[in-house]
Amino acid sequence: MDLRLKIVQWAHAVLSKAGRGGSFPGELAVRLDKHFIEKFKMPKIVVIVTGTNGKTTTSNLIAESLRACGYKVINNRRGDNLNVGIATLLAVNSDNNFNIKADAAVIEVDELTVYRQFRNLKPTHLVVTNFFRDQLDRAGEMETIIRKIQDVTDDFTGHIILNGDDPNVLRIADTAKKAQIHFFSVDRNSISQKTTDEASEGKFCPRCGKPLKYEYYQYSHIGRFICPDDGFGKITPYIRVTDIDYENETFTCEGQKFHSFINTIYAVYNCSSVLAVLKTLNQNLMNADQVFRNFVLKEGRNEVFELSQPCIINLVKNPTGANEVMKYIVSQHYDKNLCIFLNDNDQDGHDVSWIWDAHFERLNQDDIKTIVCSGRRAYDMALRLKYEGLEDRIRVIEDSKEAIHWLNVQNMPSHVIATYTALHPVRAILRKEAER
Amino acid sequence: MNLKILWMYHDLMDLYGDKGNTAVLKVRAEKRGISCIVDTCSIGEEKNICDYDLFFLGGGADREQSLIFEDLIARKEQIRKAMDENTAFLLICGGYQLFGKYYKDQDGNVIDGLGFFDYYTESTDRDHRCIGNIAVQTTMDGETFKAVGFENHGGQTKNVSTPFGKVLYGHGNTFDDGSEGFMNDQVLATYMHGPLLPKNPKIADHIIQRALKKRYGHVELTPLDDTIENKAREVMLKRLNAAD
Repeated sequence: MDLRLKIVQWAHAVLSKAGRGGSFPGELAVRLDKHFIEKFKMPKIVVIVTGTNGKTTTSNLIAESLRACGYKVINNRRGDNLNVGIATLLAVNSDNNFNIKADAAVIEVDELTVYRQFRNLKPTHLVVTNFFRDQLDRAGEMETIIRKIQDVTDDFTGHIILNGDDPNVLRIADTAKKAQIHFFSVDRNSISQKTTDEASEGKFCPRCGKPLKYEYYQYSHIGRFICPDDGFGKITPYIRVTDIDYENETFTCEGQKFHSFINTIYAVYNCSSVLAVLKTLNQNLMNADQVFRNFVLKEGRNEVFELSQPCIINLVKNPTGANEVMKYIVSQHYDKNLCIFLNDNDQDGHDVSWIWDAHFERLNQDDIKTIVCSGRRAYDMALRLKYEGLEDRIRVIEDSKEAIHWLNVQNMPSHVIATYTALHPVRAILRKEAER
Repeated sequence: MNLKILWMYHDLMDLYGDKGNTAVLKVRAEKRGISCIVDTCSIGEEKNICDYDLFFLGGGADREQSLIFEDLIARKEQIRKAMDENTAFLLICGGYQLFGKYYKDQDGNVIDGLGFFDYYTESTDRDHRCIGNIAVQTTMDGETFKAVGFENHGGQTKNVSTPFGKVLYGHGNTFDDGSEGFMNDQVLATYMHGPLLPKNPKIADHIIQRALKKRYGHVELTPLDDTIENKAREVMLKRLNAAD
């Protein structure tokens, strides 16, 4: 028995009794023993999920699907993906001898720190969703992230499940020579486009530097591409999704029809990666369908609050996420107000320049009446909108409570966009405001 | 009257929202009734740099920077000619570095720069970068004011004869030498992203004036309503304890 492990488990028990979750136990664990995470005897299946967008959704979908297959699964379902969150997850699911009491662990890991914990977690599967520009001040540059992940996977012999439609992600297949590589890919569908104004990374072949040729784009730089010179991008998908029907929220894979939880292209990509994991384990893919059908998105992902009129809140962290949320908002054809909370705390990224890489001109629609700018960098947001000709519709209300209250008293449907550290405080305010 | 901007390698050197700078220049010119053309020029494209009033080059990651390098060097004589013909230059981060003597990357490889100026840049290792909000005081064409931005660079630029500004908060050209960027009558080169121009409308207007000077001489610009711009800048200056 390890006294430190016991203390951490005890701390968790006390906190849960007091109705408080959080990753304090893990913080304590890592402080008491910096090799804490390495000590666990991991279950026979360990799936690490990393990437820029969709980690929490994807890892929850994988965990639920494995449960539907009959496995006992642990996962950090709330997206506590730094080492303290992971330490908490392992400690509370372990016996006194560091044995994890589960058949499978699905662990979402922050893409910037995954290189530190990768080997310690003894993974059998690595799933990479996508790589977009995100919080670059924390990351340095995307190149660094990719290289570090390449460094820790060069001797990895397990399964690597990669988004075959993302040139940044595909680079891992070039270096992880010992792993079993599986690609997931989504066919051309009604939203696919010949050209794009969204792609910022991955325009050039990582092998030779020549421009990549795209057959079609799905969103951002995700799509079907190839380097005409050296064939980079030529893949044989392990999971290939076809026939997306956005109206009925269905898609087809291996001759079977699946249902998605939301009619967006990125959700279909998330589902594809889940199917790839099941396939490596020789499980019936249809086990995932019930999960996809009934999956409820996590907090702040299209979450509705009943103010005087419905208010839908979405988390945004980077230009790609913001573009997709804006596409969704402008597809809702009714008069509405918007409120954007822009923060620049540690977890948001201190650099808010990403708002200039996102397509805020899309908000220039007649049925968007007023755009309230709030948060620590409210004026930066207002300034961004001013340069899209939205000057007359901007209203800066720095205080979050006042901003939400203003939305409520307008008696008009509304959409809220919030960066990471604004999300939970704003949700709490929305909950209160809905009860007024 | 019109303003012609050449935006170099827009598809490669466009980190950290630098494209916002061209949007600001265009809008601020057009609000004064000056029509503004923004043309782009990427690898292999034929454009006569001398046809333009302003040459704009943003920052890129090391990999992108290495991709454009040969193409840029091939245009050296044309850039020199444009400089002789009083074209204005706005260079951010990687663009700034490439106009100096050389750039030594993280692995110790030395790339010769265009060599127009005597400064040179040496990169630190991957884990040490100058990252964060920055405030500087600058004097541009006789006017002294404060500017804010966001720096994110590993390169340490040394031997700068005429810096763009004095660092009030943040790093600047190196971790701690207290100066930021390079500037002369024609060229403004800086590590400041943010992007630079939206929150610093005075810099934007000086750049517009410098560019117009090439064909029209000194042009007075009518003042614009910069309430939001000034608020956004003041919020940051105050936070960095650099406000007046």
